[in-house]
Amino acid sequence: MANTIIGSSIVIDGEISGDEDLVIQGTVKGKISLKESLFVEASGVVEADIEVQNVDIAGRVTGNIAATDKVELKADCRVVGDVRAPRILIADGASFKGNVDMDVKER
Amino acid sequence: MATNDQINIIGKGITIRGSLTGGGDLVVEGRVEGQVNLKNHLTIESSGVVEADIRADELTINGTASGNIDAGTKCSINQAAKVNGDIKATRVVIEDGAVFNGSIDMDVKLPDDI
Amino acid sequence: MAATKEFSSGGTDSTVIGPSILISGKLSGDEDLTVRGRVEGELNLSKTLIVETSGIVKANVSVRNAIVSGVVVGNITASESVELTREGRMVGDINSPRVIIVDGASFRGRVDMGNAEPRPQGERPVSRPVVRPATRPATVPARPAVPMRVPSKPQPPPLARVEASSRPENKPAPPPPPPQPVLVGEAGKKKVLVKKKK
Repeated sequence: MANTIIGSSIVIDGEISGDEDLVIQGTVKGKISLKESLFVEASGVVEADIEVQNVDIAGRVTGNIAATDKVELKADCRVVGDVRAPRILIADGASFKGNVDMDVKER
Repeated sequence: MATNDQINIIGKGITIRGSLTGGGDLVVEGRVEGQVNLKNHLTIESSGVVEADIRADELTINGTASGNIDAGTKCSINQAAKVNGDIKATRVVIEDGAVFNGSIDMDVKLPDDI
Repeated sequence: MAATKEFSSGGTDSTVIGPSILISGKLSGDEDLTVRGRVEGELNLSKTLIVETSGIVKANVSVRNAIVSGVVVGNITASESVELTREGRMVGDINSPRVIIVDGASFRGRVDMGNAEPRPQGERPVSRPVVRPATRPATVPARPAVPMRVPSKPQPPPLARVEASSRPENKPAPPPPPPQPVLVGEAGKKKVLVKKKK
């Protein structure tokens, strides 16, 4: 299925929801809830609460993140907020400030 | 369409003021002011100017029209046309290059959840 | 851009809103936007908005060009052009120097092409501030030097390069475009008559 891409010059102020993968190269403020994976690329800026299945972050995220499967913070990402997921990966070089909660019952 | 109907032409240089009613197809190369009420097809050629409320089954505009248009099936505004007025028709076509100012009323089927 | 990975299968500078995505709020940007899902709220782009057949935009839209094959409810202001393709459906007002409505499209609302009002023929190129691609033949007919013959329905040149790529998705269009209306033949045209019976 076609990915959804929010290009680098795009600014969205509001809510994004859906059930397909979403790639953010631009700026999203507000709220993101997806049933699939979210990719915040290096140019991406997210100031939003995020509810997804998986999230890969290489850019900047400010907001709380809740993933049903996995959160991956890549090198050079900057994340401020609480992260809640059964699996959380933080790469060397990632910058992260916030709480981590992996205490999820189903695991 | 016009097999047993006649085709009427209002030639260049002719001006008609008043109301124009008829059953056949009509081609306007001249000027019509007032009202036009046609059962069939009205064509306004590039030299034609119609300043009238128009009622026709089908309308093709290559020239100039101002007034309200009520076309039963279709209203085509071709690329050199200039049209001012409100249009009501089942189908409206505006070609690139045409100049139109006014409103268009067609039946628009929207999704239910909008 | 991220050298770390290639999520975006194309890497093109264009934004796509997929069919299951709903965005509500304000969206702005400087690149082309293709909507296959749904956007509600407000949309401001300095480039082209493409609403594909599955796309729904319920927003006030301000763009350079808009190509609508899906549904738009709201007003569109375009600095260059708005095209409703034959599957396009729109309710709202259009404010644009160029508006193209293709047979099959449905539309309800106002069209405002701007200063086109009292204009001696032939002045069009001046009165239109919009820069058009040189290939576009559409400006030509305005000049009176060449009296318009019955236009033989020139194939409208592609509005934007993206359009082609959006086509294959189109479902077979509901109303088949009927043949162009038959116009009066040469013989009748020369005569200056009020009425002529055959």
